[in-house]
Amino acid sequence: MTAEAAPLAAVAPMAPAAARAGRLRRALRRDRTLLPAAVILGLIVVASLLLPVVSPYRYDQQSLDHTFEGPTARHWLGTDQYGRDLLTRLAHGGRISLVVGVVTVLAEILLGGLLGGIAGYAGGVLDEWLMRLTDMMLAFPALLLALLLAAMLGPGVTAVVVALALAGWPAMARTVRGEILALKQREFVVAARAGGASASRVLLRHLVLNTVHLIVVRATLDIGPIILTEATLSFLGLGVQRPTPSWGVLIADSFQYLQSAPALAIIPCLTLSITILALNFVGEGLAEALDPSVRGAP
Amino acid sequence: MRFAVRRLGFTLAVLVASSVVVFVVGRLAPGDPVQLLLGDVRDPVTEARVRRELGLDRPLWAQYLRFAGRALRGDLGESYANPGRSVNRMVAEALPPTARLAGAAVGLALLLGVPLGILSAVRRAAATDVLARLVALGGMSLPSFVAAVLLIRWLALGWHVVPSSGWGDLRHYVLPVLVLLVQPLAYITRVTRAGVLRVLPEDYVRTAHGKGLPPWQVLSRHVLPNAAISVITIAGLAFSYALTGAFVVETIFRIPGLGQAAVGALFLRDYPMVQAVGLLYAAIFIGMNFLVDLGYALIDPRIRYR
Repeated sequence: MTAEAAPLAAVAPMAPAAARAGRLRRALRRDRTLLPAAVILGLIVVASLLLPVVSPYRYDQQSLDHTFEGPTARHWLGTDQYGRDLLTRLAHGGRISLVVGVVTVLAEILLGGLLGGIAGYAGGVLDEWLMRLTDMMLAFPALLLALLLAAMLGPGVTAVVVALALAGWPAMARTVRGEILALKQREFVVAARAGGASASRVLLRHLVLNTVHLIVVRATLDIGPIILTEATLSFLGLGVQRPTPSWGVLIADSFQYLQSAPALAIIPCLTLSITILALNFVGEGLAEALDPSVRGAP
Repeated sequence: MRFAVRRLGFTLAVLVASSVVVFVVGRLAPGDPVQLLLGDVRDPVTEARVRRELGLDRPLWAQYLRFAGRALRGDLGESYANPGRSVNRMVAEALPPTARLAGAAVGLALLLGVPLGILSAVRRAAATDVLARLVALGGMSLPSFVAAVLLIRWLALGWHVVPSSGWGDLRHYVLPVLVLLVQPLAYITRVTRAGVLRVLPEDYVRTAHGKGLPPWQVLSRHVLPNAAISVITIAGLAFSYALTGAFVVETIFRIPGLGQAAVGALFLRDYPMVQAVGLLYAAIFIGMNFLVDLGYALIDPRIRYR
């Protein structure tokens, strides 16, 4: 952590959190992409959650008299080769991406945060071995791990989430471990210890609470690649299985109609790209605002 | 040097660990290999014989040692899906298209990304800088199959410039290489820009400016050589990215390469083939990571094994 923040922290133990809130407000004013990206992301999330509820169509409801329709009042984005409503399917796909992203990131936080926290707090041999393990995991390509696990568990959402969480936790563990290690030396933690605070109080109130922002940054940055990998696996047929309309499945199924009905492929493609782009902007904006170590990175 | 030796030891340990993972995947995956090989034949005597021939009646660790020993000698067994064909042959046949595509993509990415990265670092906030950051962020955000869909739509189906799929002559390279190019280009542009930005404020660059060298000479003699190492090491990683991209690209464009072979093998539960491709990819990735680590240690003596 920065040296100039240390005296402040000694006076008021929770100063880092307050300073971070200020930094976030300033970042929102300075970074002109953060707010629009966050708004777009929010719209996509709300649409994915709400549309399947209010839509008059089920995602697998066929209507063979109305195939390949363009946008109409009844089907806002048109229909696919079986006359299914594209907007409804898109929203269901968004739900799946959302669930996969959130569940995977939560698993990452649980596994990586716990192991990283233990490694940083305990130190010594345990720390060394856990970090060796993360090194090993980081050296193994994520997509390959996902493919192998898909082979082992049989394709499906579970295999995707397990594979992505297994591939993602080491980075989370390293982040948390590094921060806990640095925080342990800070004056306000030393002061709390000297003042007779219990180990659990030091751990929860001072160490964990001051690491949460980094976990949030890491998680936001991770969701994009996670959703991307899920879409890739589903596109290849190794992820989410039909008839569940994941975005990868939507793109794969409309691929053969690219000549006659290009919108069918291009709309899900754009939705996926915009989502990933917005996630990247929000993640980098948050990182710049909350994590001083990445400031100035391109 | 000590660092290199320790890093090499670690790399070998990771290789062994990944070979265990690849082996376990092949063993624990659903489906009995004996049944897969024999197909409809239901004869207990034959089944027992095949099981013994494959070594499947022995304990798991013995099976692993046998697998690892044969893998070290370069023998990965026989394909389940194509009985009588060795997996080695299948990999050897599928490798050239993948390697050529990845090589072409990374080569082009270096040719375009390095100048773009340098320009954007030297003249910050100019149009080139905006372009470079857009390429970097867009490349990271654009899924390869989305790029493929858009390119096929306009270049192949719209304007009929190039064929939309297949493999044969040079025209078949255009679309796959363009798709594979996106990620490495983003990556290389980003790293080049960061590398040059890291060197620019150094004292020796200021000195070179101070003694009156023209800007392009400062750049070519002092800045670029010092920024180059990171770019060269990153080219290795970009090659691994392109190899992973092969899974999607070869499936879309119907190219008979490693990626398509691996995806096909996964569907057919052809585990020897899956294991072979898994081992090959793991070895390439881990080897590249090793080289990148060594490269970083060369640039920055402060980086040491912790």
